Amino acid sequence: MARVVILGAGISGHTAALHLQRQLKSKAEIIVVSPNSNWNWIPSNIWVGVGKMTKDQVTFPLAPIYKRKHIGFRQAKAVAIHPEGSPDNPQGFVDIVYTDPTRVGEEEQLTYDYLIVATGPKLNFAATPGLGPDANSWSVCTAGHAEQSAAALETIIEALKAGERKTLVIGVGHGTCTCEGAAFEYTFNVEHELRERGVRERADVVYLSNEYDLGDLGVGGMIFAQNGFETSSKLWTESLFRERGVRAILRAHVEKVDPGVIHYEELDGSRHTLDFDFAMLLPPFRGVDMKAYASNGEDITEDLFAPNGFLRVDADYETKPFEQWAPEDWPKTYQCPRYANIFGVGIAFAPPHAISEPRKSPNGTVISPAPPRTGMPSGVIGRTVALSIADRIRRGDQATLRTASMAAMGAACIASAGTGLRKGSAAAITMYPIIPDRRRFPGSGRDLTQTSGEIGLSGHWTKLLLHYLFIYKAKARFGWFVIPE
Amino acid sequence: MEQMSDVDRSIAEAPLPTVKTLRRRKSLGYQATRFIAFNFRMMKMVTRAHH
Ligand SMILES: Cc1cc2nc3c(=O)[nH]c(=O)nc-3n(C[C@H](O)[C@H](O)[C@H](O)COP(=O)(O)OP(=O)(O)OC[C@H]3O[C@@H](n4cnc5c(N)ncnc54)[C@H](O)[C@@H]3O)c2cc1C
Repeated sequence: MARVVILGAGISGHTAALHLQRQLKSKAEIIVVSPNSNWNWIPSNIWVGVGKMTKDQVTFPLAPIYKRKHIGFRQAKAVAIHPEGSPDNPQGFVDIVYTDPTRVGEEEQLTYDYLIVATGPKLNFAATPGLGPDANSWSVCTAGHAEQSAAALETIIEALKAGERKTLVIGVGHGTCTCEGAAFEYTFNVEHELRERGVRERADVVYLSNEYDLGDLGVGGMIFAQNGFETSSKLWTESLFRERGVRAILRAHVEKVDPGVIHYEELDGSRHTLDFDFAMLLPPFRGVDMKAYASNGEDITEDLFAPNGFLRVDADYETKPFEQWAPEDWPKTYQCPRYANIFGVGIAFAPPHAISEPRKSPNGTVISPAPPRTGMPSGVIGRTVALSIADRIRRGDQATLRTASMAAMGAACIASAGTGLRKGSAAAITMYPIIPDRRRFPGSGRDLTQTSGEIGLSGHWTKLLLHYLFIYKAKARFGWFVIPE
Repeated sequence: MEQMSDVDRSIAEAPLPTVKTLRRRKSLGYQATRFIAFNFRMMKMVTRAHH
């Protein structure tokens, strides 16, 4: 019986596991390896970070789901891939180290016929001295981090209530960060919370980002058709910042975070400091530290993984100037070029380049967003690869691989701007395609009829609906597969 | 007084929503229609991504 090993149980890996099991039932053995015992609906961490949800509302244990679905589960982390197996057995295998409290540190070699790498990002706080919850700033990347942020925010709100003035800085903690959408969301949720609690006027809220313009969001900004005009996401976002009285510092690379002081460089090369009382700064992402070895023991990590640690797939990795970036550069099947039975999905695959225009300061510091791979594409890619593998297991290696290029895929992004069934608000954005195609759509590179943005209470309802729907789906409850990724 | 940066200036010149727009953003009836419209658009996009 064929064995499929999936490394990672986040949005992409868990989606792939459920679809594989549904497709193949007992025709294959499916094993998921993940160091965390819980699944986390990461988008709702934003609400945990302002105390509107608890950690338990955004996470659930994976083991019972996998048991019910007859999917093997190892609470462990993968440390190395051996795609060629060992000298006496050519079958590929993965080295895993258990994090399961009952087996901590135990090692195992897991053989596979197909391998899906869905390990998501390594939260690279170490890239900026002083960054992160173990040092001088907060994070909302995990539910645990978000809980810590909520507690710190509460302390600030108490001080504001006592009449003190406070500066709250929210943004990204390095010039090469991605996920600006999450920083944007957290900014407006905090701002909303401060207003709700009646302390807004004593708080300075500052958004600190590596984006060139507001509304870039790592996708090079968008153009929307609105009321008979083409409006930029820049103007649209600036309007929200003006309305809510939030200051923005853009084109910034955070160099260091000292207690209460952020040191940053701007794109023009100038250096500045910003004092803060509360800072939530997202870390830059890189691939998780996995090694790869040939059957003779040779280290082939650089063949399998790009320098940023993400898995190389069927993308065009040739270095080209921005003007020559094309939709075709982006991967379609997510198959590893050197080993046909390895695939990389979600954040774990190495993108060919950014989406936003790359920029450097005169000091040579890169200050531009890395490309986001949000929940929707991560889920769609996970599912597509699962179906490709199911086809190959059923029909043999000649079965054509399915495709899901981000250049042929749209995305919906709902950036919460405050909670409450009657008082909530969100910026609801759709875009098509994610990767701009200036040949098909001259100008902005996106289809104006499918790229839109609107702000209102209904966006909050949608975000809340997605929270419940995706947790229902991830729990593999009745009819889960009808809910699209 | 602290000098205004280009970004501050750009934000200061951005259009503010009118009272009517702000009211519409919170109006339950209007938002119910926007909820349906947005989810319809999102579903169209999702079905496209699945083929
Ligand atoms: C605060 C925040 C808010 C966000 N909000 C939104 C949003 O509103 N909408 C949206 O579309 N997207 C949002 N995103 C992005 C979204 O969370 C990601 O796109 C999505 O989680 C990517 O899925 P993934 O499976 O690639 O990675 P993850 O979901 O990060 O999953 C990675 C998995 O790999 C496991 N893993 C790590 N290392 C190893 C190892 N060595 N071996 C085995 N397993 C390993 C992890 O434990 C985890 O289970 C947000 C992200 C953040 C941080």
